[in-house]
Parts: sequence; structure tokens; C-alpha cells
Amino acid sequence: MILYDYVLSASCYKIRLMAALSGQKLELQAVNFHPAREHKSPEMLKLNPGGTLPILRDEDLIMTDSSDMLRHLTRNLPEWQGDDDGWLDFARTLNETLGMARLHDVLGFEVDIDAARKRGVHLLRLLEAHLTEQRFDGMIFLTGDTPTIADIACFPNTALAPDGGVSLDVYPSIRLWMRALRSLPGFIEMPGIHRLHELEAAE
Amino acid sequence: MTRLWGIVLNWIAVGLAEDIPVGTVVPRRVDGLDLAIWRSGLGRFHAWDDRCPHRGMRLSHGFVRGEVLACVYHGWQYNLDGACDYIPAHPDLTPPKTICANTYVCETRNQALWVALGTVNGDVPDIGDRIPIRSLDISCGAPAIARYFDHPQDPLIVLRGKYDLAIALQPSTSRSCFAHVFAGAGQDKKIVSRYVEKLRDELEAA
Ligand code: FES
Repeated sequence: MILYDYVLSASCYKIRLMAALSGQKLELQAVNFHPAREHKSPEMLKLNPGGTLPILRDEDLIMTDSSDMLRHLTRNLPEWQGDDDGWLDFARTLNETLGMARLHDVLGFEVDIDAARKRGVHLLRLLEAHLTEQRFDGMIFLTGDTPTIADIACFPNTALAPDGGVSLDVYPSIRLWMRALRSLPGFIEMPGIHRLHELEAAE
Repeated sequence: MTRLWGIVLNWIAVGLAEDIPVGTVVPRRVDGLDLAIWRSGLGRFHAWDDRCPHRGMRLSHGFVRGEVLACVYHGWQYNLDGACDYIPAHPDLTPPKTICANTYVCETRNQALWVALGTVNGDVPDIGDRIPIRSLDISCGAPAIARYFDHPQDPLIVLRGKYDLAIALQPSTSRSCFAHVFAGAGQDKKIVSRYVEKLRDELEAA
């Protein structure tokens, strides 16, 4: 499987993370999204007329939607599947708000930054409320006591919120959820998202 | 003692014990002052200025290793008294006593975490046998919240009522609070959690 990838993209990281956690190897094809805008080049547009990243190619199958990619990667792994649909939609709205706020702050994209942050905070409050109720039931992840593609879909843009000027300090349950994800075996990092130092120290 | 909202406060709530498991550190803001609250391997809570004495990195980005808090930047380690006792770049050096994090008195009582920013004066407020529900941010100043409930500006706002609520307000800034919510024993946590979200909506709309 080939992933057309940009290292700073939260959505590309989602796919790299899912593959790493489930022990699958991806062939990474780096695309210069910024500043070269290589994802809009004729060859890339031939692959994905939508001109977006990531793109995942498995033989003849070409996927351009990250939810489809998560489903594809876990199609034979029931342990990574749960009641995910609503959360995959939720992840999309995180990308449109917190994700855009980050692109504004990090890459200088033109975005209505106040609106993006405000809607992002609203989503974080919903996420916090849900994760708090999960904790009341003794569960740490979005759909149960083990992670599924729902968690992987929502994690990157949440964890990167501070890069877009949105603090995570006031969300205890989100912090504990992120900590649980960061300590999963096989977890990989991206710029702005780190493994737990405690674990590194213990190795 | 700390002067906040025009009154003198001894103890300020900074969270629920269950939200800070052993071996973790979290940031908290009190009236614009940034604190790092951490729980050592043996389970003791500590409240320090969120500022590494070395180059000022936030200590809440650091990590707990047993009974020390290590800064994420250059790895300097601070023991339970806040004193630096290890500098990785100079492993043989005994750091001078002057390298010390600024510490505050931090107490737990019935699952609630309290910090005294000045001289300790008086007992830690008592939430009784109520159970911890959750902490949530409210975009309102503490005086406005107390006024809304027609309650004196105490460290603990006790509402009784159907859920027997006690809300410990951490005034983060002049326009926002972190509210640490407790409810009567036997209450359904989910129902109370949703109820306080509704209260928050009302407060923020007021
Ligand atoms: S800033 Fe903390 S160790 Fe250097």
C-alpha cells in the first residue's frame, strides 16, 4: 500500500498511525504540500482530481477520504471496529475547525480564525462530555475500553489543537484519553505529538 | 492569603484527585498565575509554579519519574521540595540549593484538590460526603457566577437542591473559571454531568 503523504498533515498522520498501531507497512510517498503545492500538480490530480491529501493506493484501489482509508486498513481487524460512524463524521468537523485553525497559525492559510477556534472549542466540549461519561462507565476510549478507528480519527486534530491557538488545559478527560492513546504499543509520533516520555525513560 | 475578586481567599480548588493519576502532571491557571499540579509515584500531590527554574519551560509539559518531576526541555529533575537534584548534562554535579521550583501548599480532602497561594490560614474547605463529578470550564468570572446563584463569594458554592451540588470555583482569569463539581452521594453522575452543562449554558448566556 502506498500513502501519498505530507509529514505535517493531521489527516496523513491518522493513516500512518493506524497502520503503525495495527502492524501494517505503508510505502510512504512524500508530497511537498507546502510550499510547493505538489498535491495540485498534474500527476497528483490524475490520481486524485480533488487535489487533497492523503491518498492511499492499494493496487487498483485509490482512496482519497481518510475515513475510507481507516476502514480499509481495519477491514479484517474487528478489534479496531466499534460504533464508529458518528465519530468519523465528528473527526471531519474537527478537521474543518481545529485543523483549519492550525493551518492558519502554522502555514498561514486564510481562515476565519475566530470562528474556527470558537467552533473548535464547542467540539472539544462535546468530546470532553462524552469521554467523561465513558469514564463514569469505566472506559477510556470513545466507543469502549479498547481503541477503534473512531479514536484514531479524532485524535490528531484534537492533540494538535494548541498549534491552532486552542488550549487543551481545561479538558481532564480528553487529556487522559490522549495519554491512553499515546501509550499504545506501536504508537508513532508526528511534529507536535509525542510519545509518553515516561515510557521512553523506562526503555 | 490571596486577594481575589476583592475578597481574601486562603484555599483555591484546582481539581479532582481522580483526574490526575499517579505519575502525571497537569497545568492549572489561578487568576492568571500558571501552576503545574503533579502527583508523585507514591501518590502525593504537589503544586508548583509552571515554570522551570532553568529556562522557563512549562513544567506541566514535563514528566513524573517516581518522586521527581523532570522538565521536558533539558531534563533537569526536581525533588519533592522543588529543589533541583539532577542535571543530565552534568551528571556528577550536585546542583546548588538556589535552583528550586516555586512551591505552594497543596492538600486533598474528599477527592478535592486545594492549593494555598499564600500563608495557610484556616482549614481546607469541606465538601462533606459528596462525590466528585467533573471539572468544567465556564466562560464567566467568579463574581458573576456567585451572583447568578445569589450566593456569597465563598471558595465553595453550595447549591443543595435536587442534586445537592457543591461547586468549587477556580478563578482562572477575570473572565473564566474552572468549576470543580461535586454532588450528593448516590446521585447519577451522568445526569448530574449533563445538568451542570446546562447550568454552564445558562451562565454563559446570562
Ligand atoms: S528549561 Fe527546564 S531543564 Fe532547561
